[in-house]
Amino acid sequence: MADCATGGACNVSIAIRQITKKFGRFTALDNVDLDIPHGRLVALLGPSGSGKTTLLRIIAGLELADSGSVHFDGQDFSDRTVAQRRVGFVFQHYALFRHMTVFENIAFGLRVRPRASRPPRSAIRAQVEELLDLIQLRTLAGRYPSQLSGGQRQRVALARALAVEPRVLLLDEPFGALDAKVRYELRRWLRQLHDDVGVTSVFVTHDQEEALEVADQVAILNGGRIEQVGAPDDVYNRPASSFVYNFLGNVNLFHGRIDNGTAYINQEATGQLVFVRPHSLEIGRQPSGANYFRATIKHISSAGPVVKVDASTGWGAPVHVEMSQARFRELELRTGEEIFITPNDLAVFADEQRAG
Amino acid sequence: MVGTLHLRSAPAVGESRLIRGTLIAIAVVFLSVFLLAPLAVVFAVALGQGVAAFFSTFSNPDTLSAIWLTLVAAAVAVPANLIFGIAAAWAIGKFQFVGKGILIALIDLPFSVSPVVAGLTYVLLFGAQGLLGPWLVAHNVHIIFAVPGIILATVFVTVPFVARELLPTMAAQGSEEEEAALTLGAGGWQTFLRVTLPNVKWALLYGVILCNARAMGEFGAVAVVSGHVAGLTNTMPLQIEILYNDYQFVPAFAVASLLALLALATLVVKSVIEWRIARRGARVT
Amino acid sequence: MSSVLRRLRKRSIIPGFGLTLGFTLFYLCLIVLIPLSATFLEASKIGWHEFWRAGASPRAIASYELSFGASLIGATLNFVLGTLVAWVLVRYDFPFKRLLDSLVDLPFALPTAVAGIALTTLYAPHGWFGAPLTAAGIHVAFTRLGIIVALTFIGLPFVVRTVQPVLEDLDRELEEAAASLGAGRLQTFSRVIFPAILPAVLTGFALAFARGVGEYGSVIFIAGNMPMRTEIAPLLIVTKLEEYDYSGATAIAVVMLVVSFVMLLGINALQSWNSERENMSVEQPVALAAGVPV
Repeated sequence: MADCATGGACNVSIAIRQITKKFGRFTALDNVDLDIPHGRLVALLGPSGSGKTTLLRIIAGLELADSGSVHFDGQDFSDRTVAQRRVGFVFQHYALFRHMTVFENIAFGLRVRPRASRPPRSAIRAQVEELLDLIQLRTLAGRYPSQLSGGQRQRVALARALAVEPRVLLLDEPFGALDAKVRYELRRWLRQLHDDVGVTSVFVTHDQEEALEVADQVAILNGGRIEQVGAPDDVYNRPASSFVYNFLGNVNLFHGRIDNGTAYINQEATGQLVFVRPHSLEIGRQPSGANYFRATIKHISSAGPVVKVDASTGWGAPVHVEMSQARFRELELRTGEEIFITPNDLAVFADEQRAG
Repeated sequence: MVGTLHLRSAPAVGESRLIRGTLIAIAVVFLSVFLLAPLAVVFAVALGQGVAAFFSTFSNPDTLSAIWLTLVAAAVAVPANLIFGIAAAWAIGKFQFVGKGILIALIDLPFSVSPVVAGLTYVLLFGAQGLLGPWLVAHNVHIIFAVPGIILATVFVTVPFVARELLPTMAAQGSEEEEAALTLGAGGWQTFLRVTLPNVKWALLYGVILCNARAMGEFGAVAVVSGHVAGLTNTMPLQIEILYNDYQFVPAFAVASLLALLALATLVVKSVIEWRIARRGARVT
Repeated sequence: MSSVLRRLRKRSIIPGFGLTLGFTLFYLCLIVLIPLSATFLEASKIGWHEFWRAGASPRAIASYELSFGASLIGATLNFVLGTLVAWVLVRYDFPFKRLLDSLVDLPFALPTAVAGIALTTLYAPHGWFGAPLTAAGIHVAFTRLGIIVALTFIGLPFVVRTVQPVLEDLDRELEEAAASLGAGRLQTFSRVIFPAILPAVLTGFALAFARGVGEYGSVIFIAGNMPMRTEIAPLLIVTKLEEYDYSGATAIAVVMLVVSFVMLLGINALQSWNSERENMSVEQPVALAAGVPV
């Protein structure tokens, strides 16, 4: 079957085929296949050690895979050097050239081009200034990296990578080293930037909130394998495995099973687990319908946009429920009260630790 | 640096004033006796019979050629070991491979060997009775007891200096900036010249200064290979020895004072470098 | 096909490994290894008997004893006083502190011959220090005491410069914790501070010792150079060379080389112990301050 990797028609910017990478005895990537569509912003999401940064660096050419291939626009680039791949790489700790000003950092990629293809100085200056406007740091062009804040350095790193007009932009945990507030702002800014510039982008993160908020597509990695790939909505609401369910957002776990299309919550282990999101649990003072279980409220955290209620079921299992402020005020819940909880939406997966 | 930042107020936990004062006094006396005094005596004797006597030292042709030879030896040893130091620091600092420890120990070797032994090894290799002796004599090439031998001995003893200064710096700086440069399309040499070199310039400078100080001041190794032929194979330190043993104290100390000034210049440069580094370090958030 | 190519390629994407390693090894072989092996080759030609006669003659043994003994004493002096100086420089402020701190490197930057004649002139019977000392009956110049003075001078920066960065990095909170638990100042020093700096002090001690054993220029002027009494091993080598006794010189040189190698390994081990303990962080003022290259 003709596909992007074999030169067939494609809308795929990057095709990753059967990449395996080991460091000594540790397998970082195990036969990974992934397609990055053209012009999209894709997140590689996963816990530490899942292989996401390794995969990114293999795409960039900063690491060499043990086996497998990487294709850009249908061509096999596995044997090309970093410089030949024309990727823009934004490092986790920015890797700005500490002895060069902001301007010189951004201009670097243009200045090191071979004589023949190097643009004239005026053109370089114009391009750098355009990028400085894009990242809104025009006034800091003469500063050195040590004089900038973390968020500013990140933007310079981004501009520097964009200066060489890369075919793909790769970002390694771009906001990992920043304060929470700066992170939120830059997240939005990155999304906007991507919409403006339109270059295919891949970024690595361990923050699921970030991935779900910013990306067009999310690829979730675990232990060197891809668990699921899809739009944020897909992976969040239709997780393909217990790992994905657990990794994205909070989750309540109960022993239970599926029987003839009906889910049951049990007190003892059954070899399966029932997954319910905290906001999919309804609290009521009276039992409603046939699907409910009893619980006692242990703790209420009511400051913030969402009210969090921690309760304990009749058989001692912990339950975490989230509701809106409005609903909370309606219910007038108190610690110690007995309540009835009804799940609205749940999923059942095999208990991987016990699966026979 | 690990650890919390402490403001520079008087610590609540510390020694009594008396103990502090005593310790400072001991330290100052110790340093004055062992460091200041020798330095002072060099200049005191050199200028002890007036400035005219001081300057007449340098009209002696033997002394002048000693100075010349010292400069020549340094002019060869420093650039050679500079290139070596950069290559070694790059290979060891930026890559992982088996045998790094042995390589580092090998580089340290000239430093841990007595300079006399260093000179002897060259005599045993290039001397008339040495391994290559007969071949050299047959081709009328003179290394021992001639200028080339002195240069070689000087190179040997100064091998580690630049490398040992550059190595920790290059290793600690890691390769991220170099990787970034590669992603931006820079070639190997471009990356080295534009990214790596500027980052290590202070360590490099200090290594060169130290290398130079040692090259000009080397005594033991050069004494063995030199043959002490006045006017031909004497360096400044050897000339000092000859003058001193001849009881020509003012000339001996006059030449010595030049080298002492060089030593002081070395120390000044080092302080400046450390100040620069500390200043830059304080700016990093 | 591409995987075959991949296997042939370098391990790291940073360029220049082959070039720099190759040049480094070539240079080292040429300048260091080949001459050193010439020494061992010559030594092997000598034959055991001759080697023993020359390398273990009473005169040679006396010179080893002197070189090692005096270095040991000098290094011990620096162990104590060097630590004290490092402490004072790191912890206290006083006039001219910066000046004295910079001067600590003087023995390292000053040519040994200059140091030699300066020290001799200082301690000679009519010297600035020599006069009062001789009047008090203490002879320094041309005695073993003079050798110890010279070797103390030479080794001074080693202990100070290895201990200083460790002291600077020492967390004050440790001392505050000890004090809050009731420890007196001396107890705090001996139980908390000194153990923490011990690897550094020992490293400095070993470096000073190693340096002193092979020292030539700064010692031969003040030593007196009398065989069996004030003749250091390196001088014996030079004397043998002047007498054209190459095998004798080689034998003694080999003994010193072997000792140097052993000390080098020991020092490297000490240094890695030191840097493990110290948990070397990234900033480089540390490396430069201890920029006494080994």
